[in-house]
Amino acid sequence: MKEIATYVERTFESVPDSQRKSEIMQEIIERLEDSAGKLEQDGKAREDAINKAIVDFGNLDEILQELRGQETGKGKALSSLWFAVIGSLLVIALTVFINLYYSPGVVWFLYPTFAVIWWPLCIFFFGKWRKGR
Amino acid sequence: MVSSDLLRGHLETILLRLIGETDRYGYELFSEIDGRAGGRLVVKEATLYAVLQRLERQGYITSYQGDVSGGSKRRYYHMTPLGKANLEQGIREWHEAQEIINIFLRGNIQ
Repeated sequence: MKEIATYVERTFESVPDSQRKSEIMQEIIERLEDSAGKLEQDGKAREDAINKAIVDFGNLDEILQELRGQETGKGKALSSLWFAVIGSLLVIALTVFINLYYSPGVVWFLYPTFAVIWWPLCIFFFGKWRKGR
Repeated sequence: MVSSDLLRGHLETILLRLIGETDRYGYELFSEIDGRAGGRLVVKEATLYAVLQRLERQGYITSYQGDVSGGSKRRYYHMTPLGKANLEQGIREWHEAQEIINIFLRGNIQ
């Protein structure tokens, strides 16, 4: 049944291609065709049978999320936090060095430190806020 | 018919149990749940496949392509030792939850 394959393909469009994705799509298409076929045998009109099969199967969003969760999600958020922490520490270390080397009499490195500290803080609290939702 | 919210948290454990008995494929799990619960536990197939994906990603089950039957290849799921440990923990947690809830909800209402 062409309509079912089209429906599943359109739903999975946003997920990047992978072996796993095509396997799961294939399995879902087969299941949907199977139950639509049974409904048609029971005397339902073709279109009704397809619609009912799709509704009965349930919302595919959960499966999409699982497939997407494999590449993105937690790991990515954590690595951008580490990048921010290490990056800001390097910048702070550099300003401390310049401060002590060229003008040891004036403690000015605190000002750029305050500025650059916003970087990891933003990432951290944005991640926290997104997790909370 | 029990609301799915109450049972949702235990769906992973239920699936691990069924896969632990013998290797099973997606629709087999669906009909097994329906049959054993006598239709009282309603799980959408989409939810089932999502949970299977999650279990596989967490390393609790592995899957392999089974023999061709009726024109289509079936994907069978097999429980790993890690999955077995998780199943045992899930069963323990369920017993404990039961005891705790019983403390409050058992007996007649005054």
